[in-house]
Amino acid sequence: MTNSKKCLIIDDDLDDQEIFLMCLKNVNRDVEGKTANSGVEAIEMLKKDAEYTPDYIFLDVNMPKMNGVECLKHLRKIERLNSTKILMYSTTSEKDVVTESKSSGADDFIMKPVKTKELKTKLATIFNIVSEINQPD
Amino acid sequence: MTLPKQDSESSLQTRSDLYQKMIEEIEDYAIILMDEKGIIRNWNKGAQKIKGYTEAEIIGKHFSIFYLPEDLASGLPQKLMEQARRTGRAVQEGWRKRKDGTKFWGSITITAIHDEEHNVIGYSKVTRDLTEKKIAEDQLRMSEERYHQMIAEVQDYAIILLSPEGLIENWNIGAEKIKGYKASEVVGKKFEVFYTPEDRAVNMPYRLLEEARTTGRAAQEGWRVRKDGTRFWGSITITALHDKNGDVIGFSKVTRDLTQQKIAEDKVIAYNAELEMQNSELEQFAYVASHDLQEPLRKIQTFAELIQENYSDEEYVKRYFAKLEASAQRMAELVRSLLDYSRLAKDKEKGSRKVEQVDVDLNTIVEEVKQDFELLIEEKKAIIISNSLPVVKGNKMQIGQLISNLISNSLKFSKENPIIRVSSSIVNLSQIPDAPENLMASRYYQIIFEDNGIGFEQQYDKIIFSLFQRLHGKQHFAGTGIGLALCKKIVDNHHGHISAVSAPGKGATFNVYLPIE
Repeated sequence: MTNSKKCLIIDDDLDDQEIFLMCLKNVNRDVEGKTANSGVEAIEMLKKDAEYTPDYIFLDVNMPKMNGVECLKHLRKIERLNSTKILMYSTTSEKDVVTESKSSGADDFIMKPVKTKELKTKLATIFNIVSEINQPD
Repeated sequence: MTLPKQDSESSLQTRSDLYQKMIEEIEDYAIILMDEKGIIRNWNKGAQKIKGYTEAEIIGKHFSIFYLPEDLASGLPQKLMEQARRTGRAVQEGWRKRKDGTKFWGSITITAIHDEEHNVIGYSKVTRDLTEKKIAEDQLRMSEERYHQMIAEVQDYAIILLSPEGLIENWNIGAEKIKGYKASEVVGKKFEVFYTPEDRAVNMPYRLLEEARTTGRAAQEGWRVRKDGTRFWGSITITALHDKNGDVIGFSKVTRDLTQQKIAEDKVIAYNAELEMQNSELEQFAYVASHDLQEPLRKIQTFAELIQENYSDEEYVKRYFAKLEASAQRMAELVRSLLDYSRLAKDKEKGSRKVEQVDVDLNTIVEEVKQDFELLIEEKKAIIISNSLPVVKGNKMQIGQLISNLISNSLKFSKENPIIRVSSSIVNLSQIPDAPENLMASRYYQIIFEDNGIGFEQQYDKIIFSLFQRLHGKQHFAGTGIGLALCKKIVDNHHGHISAVSAPGKGATFNVYLPIE
């Protein structure tokens, strides 16, 4: 069973946005993907558009000025995002960052994988889709 | 005239006898009666005790018998007698001779005795033996002199006496050696002359005096100024001096020159700081190896995978090959910058922590940098204006890299038609805002790099100089996050300082301070 999911990807790296979006769509064709190039931009977007409440936020840890963890803290203050799942992701998974992310209200921590397949598997788990992940791309 | 004959009346006689007796028995004073020529006529117990002669031995002798040969030669007995004859009295203290040849310190009063017609008919001579007192006084005086001399000749400490108002009253060799002034140049002046203008501006000298006044003592370590303007690190103790009533009558100020120790101590602190810095740099390097370098590598792998999976789609393959290449390029750039950075650190270690000092003409450097960036300048329609810049002392390669990085930074973070101004001035240490404590020179060249680029929020003015810190997303501006960290390292190597002033959209100004000498 799949249903439409609103996903917001916050990443300063356009390549990573693209790969992430590609994988999301691949896992769930009904994903409504949006992107923001920085934490500040994402927060502004969410504050401006009160109608928009993503189901999932994928948040890059390493961003200039406002890093992912700081951004997370701001996002968790926005009440309507209470049921939004926020997933942090990074190239590395330093223990401190993972711990701080979890304690600051992140639902999960994902490594930016080398293979897109790994990411798709992970995303499928997140979306509770078991059937589609074993299908060939 | 002769001495008065004894009275015939019996009661008077009794009293006179009594009086005579009294004088004879006095032991603490030698009381002698002399005739008008100075011949001894009468002698008491005190005289015998003090001078050692019996009455029989001395009666009929001239009183000059008690005088030392040198006093006899100068005619002292006659002079004293003459003075007593003329003025009625002569008082003197001096060394006299006992019968056995030993000396005693006598306090002598010779008084003339007159008859009714006021003719001098003789003299009384009262002598007190003050030898012990004299010796004690002499010892005290000698002790004081020795003490004074001791302080005067102490070389390793400046020991100064200050008036209650802080005027210099006394000066020793140590003070001359440490502070460079001769006593004649400085006695009577205010003691604040030894303090730096910064300390004087906050009234430090008089605050220390006040502390000594209220608590008895003030101790401090700090930089002080010698006569020639050079500074020394002094350890100073000011102690209040009180009179019997407890009122402050002055201060003693003991200063020790601990410059060598301070330099050694500072060196240890600096080495420690450097070690800490190198440690944190190593940590940053480890982080970079694991993150910043891994990022493009990961992308290369991902893109390769995507290409493989969509081999038949030419457009797709083209697109991801381009991305793959860009990632590889970025990786190469990172590796190159890292090498630059680590080479800089290595240079410094090899050169025993001192950068090679040659004359570097900044005008030439700016021209060279302009040539290096010729294409970019043309493409961006950039204008680089530089006023006549100074010749600084430093490592030419590093200074070149510094200026190149700053100009490249301004070119990179610009919109249209960038204008970059490079100018310079000379400033004192106190004029450098937020100057770090390790700046030692008193004067600096300030090299100012002004641009009209995108600028940044002032709150990031420190973070931009850290390794791998970027303020802008990768999609807008290329860069490795190493350039400004490199600038900071170069400036640090040259014992200078770099700071930045900016606001978003208002351009940025980078100030580089390099020591003059």
